[in-house]
This record gives sequence, C-alpha cells and structure tokens, in this order.
Amino acid sequence: MTAGILLLVGGLVFLSGSALAAFCWAARDGQLLKLREAPLTIFDDDEPVGVPTDRFPSRK
Amino acid sequence: MKPHSLLTSLDPATVPDALASHERAEIDASTRGPVLLFFGSAVFWLLVGSVLGLLSAWKMTHPGLLDSAAFLTFGRIRPAHLNAVIYGWASSAGIGTGLWLMARLCRVPLMHSKLLVGAAIFWNLGILVGVLGILAGDSRSVEWLEFPGYATPILFVAYACIGVWGVIMFRFRRPGHIYVSQWYLLAAFLWFPWMYATANILLVWQPVQGSAQGAVNWWFAHNVLGLWFVPIGLASAYYMIPKVIGRPIHSYYLGILGFWSLALFYGWNGMHHLIGGPFPAWMISASVVASVMMFIPVVTVAINHHMTVRGNFDALKWSPTLRFTVFGAMAYTVVSLQGISMAIPSLNALTHFTDYTVGHAHLGLYGFFSMMMFGAMYYIVPRLVGWEWPSATMIRWHFWLVATGILLMVGSLTLGGILQGLALYDPIVAFQSSLDYATPFRWLRGISGFLLLSGHVVFAALFVLMLLKIGRRREGPALFAPSDGNKPEAATA
Repeated sequence: MTAGILLLVGGLVFLSGSALAAFCWAARDGQLLKLREAPLTIFDDDEPVGVPTDRFPSRK
Repeated sequence: MKPHSLLTSLDPATVPDALASHERAEIDASTRGPVLLFFGSAVFWLLVGSVLGLLSAWKMTHPGLLDSAAFLTFGRIRPAHLNAVIYGWASSAGIGTGLWLMARLCRVPLMHSKLLVGAAIFWNLGILVGVLGILAGDSRSVEWLEFPGYATPILFVAYACIGVWGVIMFRFRRPGHIYVSQWYLLAAFLWFPWMYATANILLVWQPVQGSAQGAVNWWFAHNVLGLWFVPIGLASAYYMIPKVIGRPIHSYYLGILGFWSLALFYGWNGMHHLIGGPFPAWMISASVVASVMMFIPVVTVAINHHMTVRGNFDALKWSPTLRFTVFGAMAYTVVSLQGISMAIPSLNALTHFTDYTVGHAHLGLYGFFSMMMFGAMYYIVPRLVGWEWPSATMIRWHFWLVATGILLMVGSLTLGGILQGLALYDPIVAFQSSLDYATPFRWLRGISGFLLLSGHVVFAALFVLMLLKIGRRREGPALFAPSDGNKPEAATA
C-alpha cells in the first residue's frame, strides 16, 4: 500500500514536474512574448483575418 | 523536402531547419491516409458503442431484456460500451484531429505516415480484442481499464507510435511561435502513453494492494479526461473557432494562462472520486483543492471562446463546424464548473452513487468532446478528400438529433440523480424506493439513446458518401471559401 502510494505521488509530481520543465523552456525560448502577434500565426495570405473558412454546402 | 527515415528523425544530429516551407493544401494532402484511417475507425466504433450504450440504457429499465446469453448481460455490455466509445470513437477521432492539426500548426507535411498507419492498425486491433474480451467475460472490473491484460500491450504500441510521431513533428516544425493548440496536443500525445503504461503496470503487471488500487484507478481515469480528451478538444476549439470566423482569439494571454494552469493542476484531480473512501485525508484534500483550482483554466477558456465568437453568433447558422464546436465549448464550461462543484465533499455526498454522475460523464465526453470532434471532422474531411459534404439537410439532422439527444440524456439523469441522492440521504426511505425515484428518468435516458444513435447513423452515412464521393459536385463549398472577404451566403450565387 505504502509503496503503491509513494509511486502514485511520485507520478503526480512527475506530471506536474514535466509541465513545469516545459514551461521554463517555453519562457527561455521566448514563447511567452509577443502575445499580440501570436494568435495571427494560424492565418496567412490566402486565408487572412476577416475571411470565414467554413459553411454549409450550397444547394447548387 | 528530403524524406526522413525514422532513425534520421530521432537522431539528435539531424537539423530541423533544413525543411522547406510548404503550402497548406500540400500539408493537408500529406495527412490524408492516416487521418482518414483514424476517422473511419472512429465512425465505426461510434456506431458499435452507441448500440452497446443503448442496450445498457434499456437494461436499466427492462432488467430481463436480452439476457439469454452471458455476453449480452449488463455487466459485460456496459463496460464494452464505455471502452468502445472512449478508445474506439473518442480517442480515434481525437488522434485523427490531432494529427491533422499538428501537421498544419507545425507547418510541415506529415512525416512517417507508415508509423501512423501501423499505429492505426494496432489501435483497432487492440480495441477489437479488448471489446471481444470484455464480452467474453475477461473484463478487469477496473473502470476505464476494463480491457483484459492481453489487449493493453497492443494498444500501448499504438499510443507509443503516436507519441513518438508527435515529438518528431514538433521537433521538425517550422521555426516561429508555438500556437496554443500545439501545446495542448503535445501535452496530450506525451502524457497519455505514459499514464496508460503507469496505470497498467500498477494494476495488471505488478498490482498494488488494497485500496491503493482505487487510487491508481481514479488517478488514471480522471487524467484520461483531463490530460487526453480535454487538451485535444481545446486544441481543436482554439483552432476552429478563430479560423472559421476569421478572427484571432480574443486574448492570447488568457489562452496561454489556461493551458499552463491546466497542465499544473489537472494531474492531481483524480482522487476526488474517492471522497469518503479509505484513504489518507491529505490525499483527498489535495485533490479537492486541485479540483477547485481548475476554476482558472476553465474560466479563461470560457471567456476566450465566448469573446471570440461574440458578435459573430450568426456564424452558427452558416458553419456546421462552428455550430458543433460552440456547442462543445459551452458544454465544456458547464461540465467543468459542475465537476468542480461535485468535488466539494458536502455536495459530493449527495451526488455520489447516483445517476447525477452518469449525466456529468456524458456531458463531458459527449456534450463537450464528441461535439468538438464532429465539428473538427466537418472541417477536416472535405479538405482531405477534395469533396464537399453531400447534404446540408443531413448535417442539420445530425446536429439536431444529437444536440436534443444529449440534452435530454444529461437533463434527465441530472434531475433523476438529485432525487435519487435525496432519497438515499433520507433514513426513512428504503433503498429500493430510492431507485424508484430514478426509474422515470432512466426511461427518458433510454429514449435519448435512440436520438443519439439516429444522429450517428446520419453522420456515418454522410461520412461514407464523402469517402465514396457520391452525390452531385457542389459549387462554392467550404473548401473553396471565397477570398474576397464576403460572407459565405453572399458568395453562393
């Protein structure tokens, strides 16, 4: 029981720990900067902001 | 681009920057095989899972229904339903969506498609063996991990391939910003194989003893939701909502905050399923606190999605993707806040062991996740097969059947669960009578199952018509959206 719980708590710490490590990397890499431009990365020249890209098929 | 062998991709000496840029359509085309394979199997398991679910629902009101053969009894049909829908339908749809999104967001064509095709084959084989194993009586009686021990290694191989692929794609992404959906996907692809292996080691190969099994069970089962389905669903929403409307996410800062707070808190949530159980009090308390902390990621996502769609709600009329996705996003907010409240011990005492919990689970996995996946598939499939959905009417039927179905199911189970809980709490009411309170609502749930199954049949028919490219070729479909900034209805001349 004790060994199992220790392993489980170790697992929990590892889960959060991996998130923390990734977070530190993201900060160092500059991923947390330029938050104004970041959401624009999914748009490009032929699908720019302001153009809807989905709709029901037309009847024609 | 020079094709890589798997070994080259894993070699730290290979330089990611060598890859050339590629157009979006080319990237979409590169994902066709593996993504359609996962989507196709998802639709198949959706139908299987729905039939099994409907049968289990009706057995709650008609205990003698189809009980002549052992494999048709409730104790086998119900876990077969659960595993068929979570691994067969939801995970396959999630993997397909994740592969497509990952390739698009990394802005490189999909690499190592053979690895993924192999994963898809192992994946379906594992589920088939698992579901048949459960029906044959080999269920492990551990909720969410009922698949017998001989099925899990097959599934693990598939998971591991997908995880490795996710890391490779991330590594060879085009330089630049990592969009919030990519973080969610990377987290899901990395954590899930690891969680699955841990749970299987601690419960099957070297089983822990006594009540620690319960702790491992719920640590895993809750993390499947929070660290597998939730990240994939949100990754899809964070891409589909802005992309369909053509408007960037309201606050990217909130998006980032939401992801990192989810990553830090969610892993600790599972133990709230065991409130009142034989565990050290600090374990339960830590889990209750972490569950309440989930308020931060949930509210940030809710604000972000609402503010992005605000002013564009008419888009729900013309975009099937957005209609399903926004339904899913709303359900996410409701189900998460409901889940937080259910982790508070005083309220948990009322809802535990009642149909309320069953309603909550369906609102999460269906209202939120499955609706997100339908939305994503409506967007992705036309871009893969180069054909428009054959019938707008059928899409509308699909939406209204499943939307009414899930609302009826969750509504009836929630109300029935509260009455059942109050009756269980009342020392004067006999246990048998507490079930009588739930029965009329279980009838309604059985009816809702018919609505859902009908919706799924319509969707499966649409999907097959798409794959076979049956129907007249239609003008001005979603995949050739006008680029002059007109609203789509204006362009349907």
